[in-house]
Amino acid sequence: MNNIILEKIARLFLRVIAVMSVLLLLRGHNSPGGGFIGGIVLATGFIYYGIIFGSDRIQSIIYFNTRIWMGIGLGLVLVAAVIPVFVGQAPLTGLWYIGEWPLVGTMHIGTPLLFDTGIFVGVTGLILSVIITIMEVLKWNT
Amino acid sequence: MDNILSLLIGLIFLAGLATPLLYRIWQKNTGIYLAVIPLIIFVVLISELFQLAPRESSVLETTMGFLPGMEFAFRIDGLSLIFGLLISGIGVLILLHASYYMAKYERQANFYTYLMFFMGAMIGMVFSDNLLVLFVFWEITSVASFFLIGFDHHAEKSRQAALQALLITGFGGLCLFFAVILTGNITGTYVISELLEQSIHLGNHPYYYLILTLTILAAVTKSAQFPFHFWLPGAMQAPTPVSAYLHSATMVNAGIFLLMRIYPIMGGTMMWKYSLMLTGVITMFLGAFFAMGQRDFKRILAFTTISALGTMTLLVGIDTPDSLKAALIFFIVHGLYKGGLFMIAGIIDKSTGTRDIYDLHGLFKKMPVTAIVTLLALISMAGLPPMLGFIGKELIYEAKMQLPDVSWLLLPLGVGANMLMVAISITVFYELFIPDKKRKPIELKYRERDLPLRFILGPILLAVVGLFLGLSPKILEIPVDNGLYFMGNQMAHISLSLWHGFNDVLILSIFTVLSGIFIFYIRRPVTRMIGRIITWLDHLHLPTLFSQLINKYLKTAAKNTNLLQHGYHRFYLLTFFLAVIALMGIQIFRITDIQLPELTPSPIKIHVALLLLVTAISVIFAVFAKSRLSAILAMGVVGYGIAMLYLYYGAIDLAITQFLAETVLMVLFVMVIYYLPEFAILSNKKSRLRDGIISVAVGVFVTLVVLKAKFLNLETPISEFFAANSYTEAHGRNIVNVILVDFRALDTLGELTVLTLAAAGVYSLFRFQIKTLKKKKSGQQKPRENVDNKMHG
Repeated sequence: MNNIILEKIARLFLRVIAVMSVLLLLRGHNSPGGGFIGGIVLATGFIYYGIIFGSDRIQSIIYFNTRIWMGIGLGLVLVAAVIPVFVGQAPLTGLWYIGEWPLVGTMHIGTPLLFDTGIFVGVTGLILSVIITIMEVLKWNT
Repeated sequence: MDNILSLLIGLIFLAGLATPLLYRIWQKNTGIYLAVIPLIIFVVLISELFQLAPRESSVLETTMGFLPGMEFAFRIDGLSLIFGLLISGIGVLILLHASYYMAKYERQANFYTYLMFFMGAMIGMVFSDNLLVLFVFWEITSVASFFLIGFDHHAEKSRQAALQALLITGFGGLCLFFAVILTGNITGTYVISELLEQSIHLGNHPYYYLILTLTILAAVTKSAQFPFHFWLPGAMQAPTPVSAYLHSATMVNAGIFLLMRIYPIMGGTMMWKYSLMLTGVITMFLGAFFAMGQRDFKRILAFTTISALGTMTLLVGIDTPDSLKAALIFFIVHGLYKGGLFMIAGIIDKSTGTRDIYDLHGLFKKMPVTAIVTLLALISMAGLPPMLGFIGKELIYEAKMQLPDVSWLLLPLGVGANMLMVAISITVFYELFIPDKKRKPIELKYRERDLPLRFILGPILLAVVGLFLGLSPKILEIPVDNGLYFMGNQMAHISLSLWHGFNDVLILSIFTVLSGIFIFYIRRPVTRMIGRIITWLDHLHLPTLFSQLINKYLKTAAKNTNLLQHGYHRFYLLTFFLAVIALMGIQIFRITDIQLPELTPSPIKIHVALLLLVTAISVIFAVFAKSRLSAILAMGVVGYGIAMLYLYYGAIDLAITQFLAETVLMVLFVMVIYYLPEFAILSNKKSRLRDGIISVAVGVFVTLVVLKAKFLNLETPISEFFAANSYTEAHGRNIVNVILVDFRALDTLGELTVLTLAAAGVYSLFRFQIKTLKKKKSGQQKPRENVDNKMHG
């Protein structure tokens, strides 16, 4: 299946969606969005890409194996959960740093963001893992 | 400076983790370098020992911990110092010994990792000032010992023995966990120092018997007391250095330590006394009795360990100041001689290739140093002067004689066990070292001169220390005194000396020794008789019985699993829905006192009504659809319809998630649909009717429950808390997201873990197929059958 228009669109689409998903992740704490939603959005972008180019191409873009990405996601979540222990708080307590930043003004940065990023990475990884596995079994586009 | 101990304990674990890397650098010398850490701990503890005042303890606080209320704090008093000194000191010698003994083994790095973890957990346990932390370390020793016992994992026997040890000590660990939690709930603190300072005794609490039973079960399983003693001889499958460590200072002594540690909190009642005395005295005698019938040097030692542990349990159970003193001293005695003897077993095994004492003879000339060291250790084991063992045994006799009401049972069995110990000691020495002219001399694989010093240093040092302490036991008075003080005995200064004067205890000792020598002379009929009894008892072979029990348990579990996990998705759903209906039905009919508010008709929103209509039609269409594709598309419409509904009512996050999930599902389905078998209706009318009724019922009940829930306010809704604190506490305006990542972060963590597992499950289901596919792709020229065979094989 070689369709130049589709391929062009898929490439563009993936980039747009990637930016979108990160945006959804970052704004998630104050407006609709968040790690879970962002993760699914990014995964749909990759799925579209994979339907057109095959699962091997997804694999080459994301560099690590999907299972490693799942592990990274879980690891980030765990790190965010454990960090408060080292300052004498219960695990999973949200720690915040409120500071003045150039360009954006006041911004709150905290461990929940790390936690959400972990969810983002983990959800993307696990959806892609399932999809890629199924694609490989079905010999999709190879 | 004070906190150096906690750092050092952490360092042991770190070193254990780093061994795989360190092993690449240090190779065969890993053991020697690792021994530096316990050596430093030993030195630190010695310096603490000299600073120790008879009535003082110190607690090292750290802010680190697993959870609030589970901080690592380390308590230094006489009890923990005595245990800590033995664990770290013998640990150094064991590491040195192992670095030669294990030189030809594979996976040495792993061995040192396990050993370091084992050591760190033991030291952490004896010093921990928090019952929960103590429990965690207790469990780490169980797990580490599992890996050490099963180190030779190619052998079925070691795997079996390791599993048995883990199951039994794990059971004890669970008991301890419950006991600790109950204690903490009742007293309100898990900190040992606080418990001691407030001199809390649980004796009058209604739960006392439950807690005590659990604690004693924990101690008895760990310390291999009758009827749980059988895992310890099985643990002989471990490499010899491990056995030496496990028997002398660690693992099995943890149970004794636990009993001494919690003695002030729950000791001293009738139940404490009689249960411990009973199990202790049986174990003491059985251990010695069985030891006499063995041929393998290591097995002999294993059974004498069981006997010695029985003695210690008995002494803790007798519960007089003298008996507790005797128990502490006997722990030191036993650690010193048993560690040495096990290492000697390793040396003899290495040099001759066998551990059967009846196959060996006349080693004295060839291994003079080993022989002298063995002699000293055996003298201590037999309880003869001038070794420390003599003092230990005298104290034990004294303690036993002080109980007029039960001494008729304790004394004969105790003296009997000691007679057997004397006989065993003489037999072992005679068989190993005295030449027998009828047999040809033993050929050694290594001459003693060629063995490196670190290999035989352990037994030598331990024997020398035993001799030294026997000659000048005054050194032990301060820590023992301090330990006893914190065990709740407000007793005056204790004094230890080799010569007690000519009294009835001494007469009993002389009698024991003479009888022991007599048993040695008639040892052949005695061993034969014991051997026969052991064969007869094999009907009741406890390890076999235990594994049968486990097998039966597994079979029952498998049966139940097959019953519940039948593999039919439709029946899973059926079970689930029926359970939901039943539960909701109970709730609906149980709560009747609700007042319906006056119903006022609200204006119907046309767009919502249309949406609902479309959704309802699609559901009906999906049920009666004639093709799979149209059914699934209709379901998609239902999903999107619900998402739209969310949107109308302001649940934007939910709506987005629903849209996305629906989309991904649709894509997945479109991918797979081509490969599914042709659409057909396989179920009969009856089952479809049943499914229809159930699904309608679920729908009705859910609706009813939702309606009812709207008019019921059992508790204040938690949503108000979330709404109020979302921005002030958690810095977020999107409440849904704040709930996900902050308020309910633990749930999210759990969900992500489950999803990851599910994805891993999908991958592992197809892994094999994918591999074969890729192989086929890379090597097209291979004949097809070959690949298929591999797939099935």
